[in-house]
Amino acid sequence: MTMAVQTPRGGARRGGRLALSNGVYRGLLAAVVAVFVAVVIWFLVSLIVQARPAFSTLGFSWIIQKTWDPNSNKFGLLPFILGTIETTAIAMVLAVPIGLGTALSLAYLVPHRLRPPLSTAVELLAAVPSVVYGLWGLIVLAPLFREHVEPFLTSVLGWTGLFNGPDQGVGLLLAGVILFVMVLPTMVAISRDVLAVVPNEQVEGAMALGATRWQVLRKVVVPGARTGLLGGFTLATGRALGETVAVALVIGNSPYIAHSIKSPAATLPSLIVNNFGEATGTELSALFGAGLVLLVIGVAVNAVARMLVRSTSRAAAAASVAVA
Amino acid sequence: MTTLSFDASSDPILERRRRIQSVASVSLKRRKVYSRIAIGICWLFLAVAIVPLIAVVFYVVIKGLPAWSVDFFTKVTVPEGIPGGGVWNAIVGTIEIGAVATAVTVPIGLLCGLFLAESEGKVAATIRFSADVMTGVPSITIGIFGYIAIVKNFGGYSGLAGAFAIGIIMLPVIMRAGETAIRGVPANLSEAAFALGARKAATARRVVLPAALPGIITGVLLAIARGLGETAPLLLTIFGNQYLQWNPTKPMEALPLVIYNNSSQPYADLLQVAWGAALLLMVVVLILSIGSRVVASVLQREKR
Amino acid sequence: MTPQPRSGRRRKNTLVAAVGLVAAGSILAAVGSTSAYAASANSAYLAADLKAPAGTLQAAGSTFVQPFFTSAFYAYTGKNSGLQINYQGVGSGQGISSFQAGTVNFAASDVPMTASDLAKVPASSGPVIQVPDTLGGVSISYNLPGVTKQLKLNSATLVGIFEGNITTWNNPAIKATNPGVALPAKTIVPEVRADSSGTTYIFTDYLNSSGGTGATAWTLGTNKTIAWPASAVQSPHNTGVAASIKSTPYSIGYVELAYAIQNKFTYAAIKNAAGVYVTPSLKSVAADASSKTGLSPTDFSIVNGPGKGSYPISGYSWAILLQKQTNATVGAGVVKVLDWTTHTGGGQSLAASLDYVPLPAAVQQQVRTALLTVKGSNGKALLTK
Repeated sequence: MTMAVQTPRGGARRGGRLALSNGVYRGLLAAVVAVFVAVVIWFLVSLIVQARPAFSTLGFSWIIQKTWDPNSNKFGLLPFILGTIETTAIAMVLAVPIGLGTALSLAYLVPHRLRPPLSTAVELLAAVPSVVYGLWGLIVLAPLFREHVEPFLTSVLGWTGLFNGPDQGVGLLLAGVILFVMVLPTMVAISRDVLAVVPNEQVEGAMALGATRWQVLRKVVVPGARTGLLGGFTLATGRALGETVAVALVIGNSPYIAHSIKSPAATLPSLIVNNFGEATGTELSALFGAGLVLLVIGVAVNAVARMLVRSTSRAAAAASVAVA
Repeated sequence: MTTLSFDASSDPILERRRRIQSVASVSLKRRKVYSRIAIGICWLFLAVAIVPLIAVVFYVVIKGLPAWSVDFFTKVTVPEGIPGGGVWNAIVGTIEIGAVATAVTVPIGLLCGLFLAESEGKVAATIRFSADVMTGVPSITIGIFGYIAIVKNFGGYSGLAGAFAIGIIMLPVIMRAGETAIRGVPANLSEAAFALGARKAATARRVVLPAALPGIITGVLLAIARGLGETAPLLLTIFGNQYLQWNPTKPMEALPLVIYNNSSQPYADLLQVAWGAALLLMVVVLILSIGSRVVASVLQREKR
Repeated sequence: MTPQPRSGRRRKNTLVAAVGLVAAGSILAAVGSTSAYAASANSAYLAADLKAPAGTLQAAGSTFVQPFFTSAFYAYTGKNSGLQINYQGVGSGQGISSFQAGTVNFAASDVPMTASDLAKVPASSGPVIQVPDTLGGVSISYNLPGVTKQLKLNSATLVGIFEGNITTWNNPAIKATNPGVALPAKTIVPEVRADSSGTTYIFTDYLNSSGGTGATAWTLGTNKTIAWPASAVQSPHNTGVAASIKSTPYSIGYVELAYAIQNKFTYAAIKNAAGVYVTPSLKSVAADASSKTGLSPTDFSIVNGPGKGSYPISGYSWAILLQKQTNATVGAGVVKVLDWTTHTGGGQSLAASLDYVPLPAAVQQQVRTALLTVKGSNGKALLTK
């Protein structure tokens, strides 16, 4: 009798300590998942509840008004929304070509033996804490920008009207560049992964047709990895949009719409982190509203990114199955 | 590119071939030039990408290393002008907050990951989507939630409030990493366990989780690395503390907070503390990241 | 001198005199001991302050007072190692809001809580006590490469700079008060506070009350947060502004005097109410405060004080605590630390070396009287001898 094999639904004799029946086991898992769901709901509800007084006091359009002046009860978020978009735009304008070029190099151009260490090095840098980037940006880059980079750019590109104003170092441009450095490892890592798994047959086919190396890359590899690249791009954008401390340290914290790329500016995260501790009443509620706006933007971008990345890996898996 | 000379001028087919080849050779030259330039730009961009990344590490090491001393690791903060201070209180705080957050989120995250790996259907898909979405939530938003949920409700700043916020950041990462690792375990392993009469709980504990361990450890180490480096949530929840504080229900200090607060200081010695703490944090995070890869590859090799 | 008769009358007179002396002495002693500020009582209080029960106090607020507080508290803990005071310099505004939220045991702010601030403290917490804890100046520091002579600035010029109307260093207004100084034709970078700051309040209080009219009137108000012009770089805390001035050429900003002295800044001589250009120093700040009578949380401004030697941008900083302390250990700690910090023989003896002006004796007396009203839940005063 003791040698009989226990059926899965049998009594609690075998299994020792963890003699949970399947029902209890599934119940336990469901309970834990319910805890996660409860936390997420608690999170969303808290933000909405805290932000509601601002909406009821100020109406709905306060988000896009352009004056932030707590003394006169004005909490327009437009300067910060624009600041968030502008710093992210600067970062991505730099990150897309440079990230793509770097990823292509790592996937196809760099000698095989160097690829693993270089790729690992780039990926490890994605883990460096953002506050370290902020410190480096403020102490090392800001003087560099003020003394050399900004005067140079103003002399070369001043005709565009984007480079008015004094060279202060801190401002939109520096914040955008710091964000670029921060999202670069993410972009390179994801791009390299998707570029490297473009089916060999397509690559070799193009080479056989006489395409130059660049033509292979441009017309076969990159288009073949298109969805994954978009996914990596949106993921990096999501990270740039939500970055707080590195930006707050180098952006100059000016709550106005920037009129020049060198102006001090502010973003939604920098607004929240600078003012949260001392805000009360409607201002505090407005900051929660800013947090909600930021959440909606970040979630939307991240959701798009996930969908794109997942569809790529599914497509890659399907393709490899099809070929095999 | 030489053409066969063979009375070519008289033969129309050879004439046509000669014309195609001359056009092709010109086009090829141009395409080769374009290719060289474009490839060159790729190399250039690689160099451009490497420069700032190396520069960050370089500066942090150069400026942070002078701050490292025995005092730096064993003494607590002192007022400006008094020598011999350190970040021991911040190290203790970072470790405690990280430990509490890890201790809570790893079990919950793994169990959620098990759930997701074993389930299909709408509920699981929604939860998976929420987890993915939560990994993209800006950390400052989680910080303000941490303030409202814990600090306001319990009447004070505390290390636990910080651990709560960091935990919310880590949880979805561990969930998804756990799910991916568990799904990667070949189905025949768990099916064999079921055939032998084991229940799901036992299978999970004795077969699936051990098999998924490399992926799980990688995911957990990466989540810890991310959690340790977050600053914004801590700014709003732990308040800071110049003294050594082991009690997590009280305000504490943490390395990211020290770096942030000392970054915009005019005093050179406080700025050096910031660099020293930055170097320490960077080293810890890099060790965790490298460690996760090493563990993963070692365990993979052992499995084979 | 006619000799007194050596009779019973003399003995009686002596007896009367002796009794009178004893009575007078005991009356004086009684008066002396009830005068909490008499020298012997003061040292008794200070000695008792150092015997406060062990624990940790959480405090937050002004960065104006932070260098003084952190060093004074460090010295206090050196003498009474069981009691730790965790003071975080987060700005006066955040100090007040933390106090309103009940997350700190006491707060520090350069401007006392207003009636509307006090209304946000829960009624169940009871009355709020606000006492001055230090006296300091706000320097106008600038980073002007190549200019070695100290600049003289008046309120009209400062109004122009910080409203964004005066944009270059060689503006006629600046040149007018600084003849013979070669001012560069560079854009001025105003450095201001990003956070809610009592130092901002003191500075704008000075600008507002300097009596300019029309074009030279200060229009942005007296407040802890100001809608600064878009050209201003905003940094958190006195330290952030100081760091920014230090690293940005052609910048000018307002920082508490201790930071300016410790970082060897160049700061301007400001024209005071008597028309004299005065450099900020412990002496000129003390002169500015000396004529203030009736200092109270509702009447606290000392900017533009009279007197030729007064530095016009000066201010007290205030400690804020609850009169009803529900936790006797914490409450005793708070009042005793604050008492020790605000009196000569305790923290105020360190003030000058930290570049703060020691509180005048009358103000110290005021502080102690107020602190004596702080009671535990049993109704007994927590500040003892």
